[in-house]
Amino acid sequence: MTREQRLAEVFVEIADSLIDDFDVLDLLQRLSARCVELLEVSAAGILLADPRGELQVIAASDEHTRLLELLARQHDQGPCVECFRTGSARTNIDLGRPEAAAAWPRFTPKARELGFVATHAIPLRLRDRVVGALNLFQTSVHRLDDDEIALAQALADVATITILQQRTLEKSYVENTQLNSALTSRILVEQVKGVLAERWGTSVDEAFAAFRAYARAHHLRLTDFARQIVDGTVDTSTIPAPENAQPPEIYE
Amino acid sequence: MAEALRSLRPGSGADPAETGARALGVAGVAVSVFPMPSADTNGTRAPEPLWWYPELSLRFEELQFTLGEGPGPDAARVGIAVLEPDLDRVRPDRWPVLLPAVRQLGVDGVCCFPLGLGAVRLGMFTLLCDGRGGLDGRQLADANTLAAALTVTLLDGRRPADRKDDDGLPWPADGLHRAVVHQATGMISVQLAIPLTEALVRLRAFAYGSERLIGDVAEDVVARRLRFDDDGSGPRVPVGGEG
Repeated sequence: MTREQRLAEVFVEIADSLIDDFDVLDLLQRLSARCVELLEVSAAGILLADPRGELQVIAASDEHTRLLELLARQHDQGPCVECFRTGSARTNIDLGRPEAAAAWPRFTPKARELGFVATHAIPLRLRDRVVGALNLFQTSVHRLDDDEIALAQALADVATITILQQRTLEKSYVENTQLNSALTSRILVEQVKGVLAERWGTSVDEAFAAFRAYARAHHLRLTDFARQIVDGTVDTSTIPAPENAQPPEIYE
Repeated sequence: MAEALRSLRPGSGADPAETGARALGVAGVAVSVFPMPSADTNGTRAPEPLWWYPELSLRFEELQFTLGEGPGPDAARVGIAVLEPDLDRVRPDRWPVLLPAVRQLGVDGVCCFPLGLGAVRLGMFTLLCDGRGGLDGRQLADANTLAAALTVTLLDGRRPADRKDDDGLPWPADGLHRAVVHQATGMISVQLAIPLTEALVRLRAFAYGSERLIGDVAEDVVARRLRFDDDGSGPRVPVGGEG
């Protein structure tokens, strides 16, 4: 399949999702995964500014904690912070250059440690306002050309629309509320990863994989399902545990 | 705004509600907190007013939480802000008992911000608006900033030990943005069979007590180098747990 066909499919997939009552986290996670496919990069993440103007991780192409942690380092430094502040894309950044290490001393070494050699930051724009950034990582140097950067910006725009289209009870101050709501959902999902990992005796990454597989198989919104687990209104023993699950040590 | 943020520091002596109301330019401010729950209760507790200014804000808080309807209970239930700065635009059947009573009090608009992190629910931050119109973008941004600062203040207030005062902002840059902190909170809540709120408080207390960053302690919990279930002597390294 050509990239154009694949791209058309992705936009149809997103448009379909927007019609129904969708889960913003799930959709943004899918979108991050699509960025990886379409742009042939190694990893992608989406960050949103919180009310204080600090960037927070909202979704990533894979939910491995080490990628989430790398993205989280950009709450105060990194290419996404610069992209967010200036509103302009920062593309084809060579992480091997001393300038990158000097500019972002906490971010760059961590990115290198995970094997990334280049990164790109694309703004999430709402009219004249920047609400976050799309972050792309590569493990091999392959310059993104203008067309690819335009495509990345289009995907970033879809992410912005996704976040701000989410329905709420009332219309007033919708944008602000939706940004906060997405950030709240993100934290909730992390808490649930911990709850399930501890119950099953697995890693948080394995726990999340099982949680998401169950939610998707039963057409449950991640956020709602997570809330039910935390509230105790769903019995987590009904969720198939990861294969290597083992009850944690019992202490008397 | 700076004054309002300073009022949240331990021992500042200033009233956060009064300075907050002045900084935001609103008719009233209240901060209500959920009582620390016993294990296994979630969501049904009514918050109790902690700070308010002026008296009208206290009356409003008591009214909506007594009736169990209004922007506060709605915001508490769904965990997102409910902003209605112009009550004339609210459908009468949304809060049928509260609305007429509130209009009698002279309240023209209400904005409620839940204070918490994910499923950790600490309290509510409520602004009352008068007839001068709604909140502008700046007021909304400031209200969000204050809500974020209040969240950390409430977390700190729930710690057993007092922290040394410092000259920084009322929220320490203490890693609440990191996924591992929230993951560790979930794990600790299972280890100790306590609600997430209390688990986060325990995690932060342990980090402060051992003079480590909360993110570093959380990494140890997630990597299972540290457990909180114990014999009462505090968190410990599991037998056979290495690095």
